[in-house]
Amino acid sequence: MPIEIPEFILPLLPWIRGTVGLSLIGVIFLGAMGAVWLERKLSADIQSRMGPCRVGKYGLLQLVADAIKLFTKEDLKPLNADSLLFNNANIFMIGSVFLMLVAIPVGAVFINGVEYPLAVTQMDISVLYIEAMSAISIFGIFMVAYGSNNKYSLLGAFRNFARMVGYEVPLGLSVVSVAVMTGSLSIVEISRSQGLLWNIFLQPLGCFVFFVSLMADMGRLPFDQNESEEELIAGWITEYCGMRFGLGFFAEYIHMILGSFLVALLFLGGWNVPGFVANNAVLGLIAPTGFLLIKVVFVLMVIIGLRWAVPRFRIDQVVDLSWKKLFPLALLNLVWAVGLGLYLGA
Amino acid sequence: MSEIIDSYIPVAIFLVVALVMPPMTMFMVKQLSPRSRAAGKYTTYESGSVPTGTARIQFNVEYYLYAIAFVLFDVEVLFLYPWVTVYKGHGITSIAIVEMFIFVFILLFGYIYLWKKEALTWVK
Repeated sequence: MPIEIPEFILPLLPWIRGTVGLSLIGVIFLGAMGAVWLERKLSADIQSRMGPCRVGKYGLLQLVADAIKLFTKEDLKPLNADSLLFNNANIFMIGSVFLMLVAIPVGAVFINGVEYPLAVTQMDISVLYIEAMSAISIFGIFMVAYGSNNKYSLLGAFRNFARMVGYEVPLGLSVVSVAVMTGSLSIVEISRSQGLLWNIFLQPLGCFVFFVSLMADMGRLPFDQNESEEELIAGWITEYCGMRFGLGFFAEYIHMILGSFLVALLFLGGWNVPGFVANNAVLGLIAPTGFLLIKVVFVLMVIIGLRWAVPRFRIDQVVDLSWKKLFPLALLNLVWAVGLGLYLGA
Repeated sequence: MSEIIDSYIPVAIFLVVALVMPPMTMFMVKQLSPRSRAAGKYTTYESGSVPTGTARIQFNVEYYLYAIAFVLFDVEVLFLYPWVTVYKGHGITSIAIVEMFIFVFILLFGYIYLWKKEALTWVK
């Protein structure tokens, strides 16, 4: 039995959803802080170090200290930088992740057996929308690099562009292969359809292609040629410092979290666990969101662990991997998905 | 129709926040942070030496070739998105699938051509 909503609220509902949804921004910033802490702790464990441990218990407040430091740092802009590009690049980075956040369901609640996904808005083309918004962040990176008029930055940005360009196509193809199974482009529908069998078991190849392309899209370590501290002095952020850098840095980590959400929703069954039926009122409110968050943290840990398992690729290797290996694999997976979709649908 | 517009109202709200938040943060930083002027502080960083020339160099033309290849294949993927939603359950399944395979097959020729022309290889 669905919840009754009074008639007079209905026209205001999208505005209410949007305004209440803004609280997600605060949550996701906390999540990004958590992700940074997790990354530092996990990296330290992998390398037999302590990691942050002085500020707060287990170093949990380290990120608060870092934020205070960034806030009180002078905002420095080189003289021959282009102010228009240099100052406004943040908007593109932050905008990209915020607009992604709008459409991604962060959980679901079951009330009286009816499922309500916890998404700020539900569109029928949300997968396409999310992918488009995810790609916008590259403008921010290019604006910083071109605006700061620095050779390292520009080299980093050109590499970044080449990488993004190569991985956008396999990423799109693997998303299409997932959508083929459901026949819908809504991320909620796709996640809902995986109640019994997760897509990772149906299309292991697609999951692999999607995960690798996503890593490249986010610029996580085997694919961080745009930063590569050792050769390009942090690449596109050489001249970006203080809170300007801080915002970009946060945007990057939020992007990583949202990417993990995408993997969990598209391939790991979203909030579904086979065999689980929400027949208890309290369990129905908490359990699905809990399952999704557990999956997201798992994916995050895999992403962070890979950072220390695989050395950075050369840029020509990256380009080869996307065009000559992942693209044919993604096409193959699409054919497989169409066949499987028809077989299962019949 | 109004349902579609309704689903984008939260997007507009988030967009406004995304446009306002970075300038506001930078304004706060301006109030909080110290300020000092020194010659040389505002020069471009180039590993400690005095910067030579401009950074805005001309890039190899093969780089743009590579970007054009991307546009081609990305548009291909874009055409698949609407196809996904209609190919099943509208009584056009077999013809839709055959047409999609013809479409992808033609583009595969272009892909093999680009590979042979070494347009997909990073500048040697």
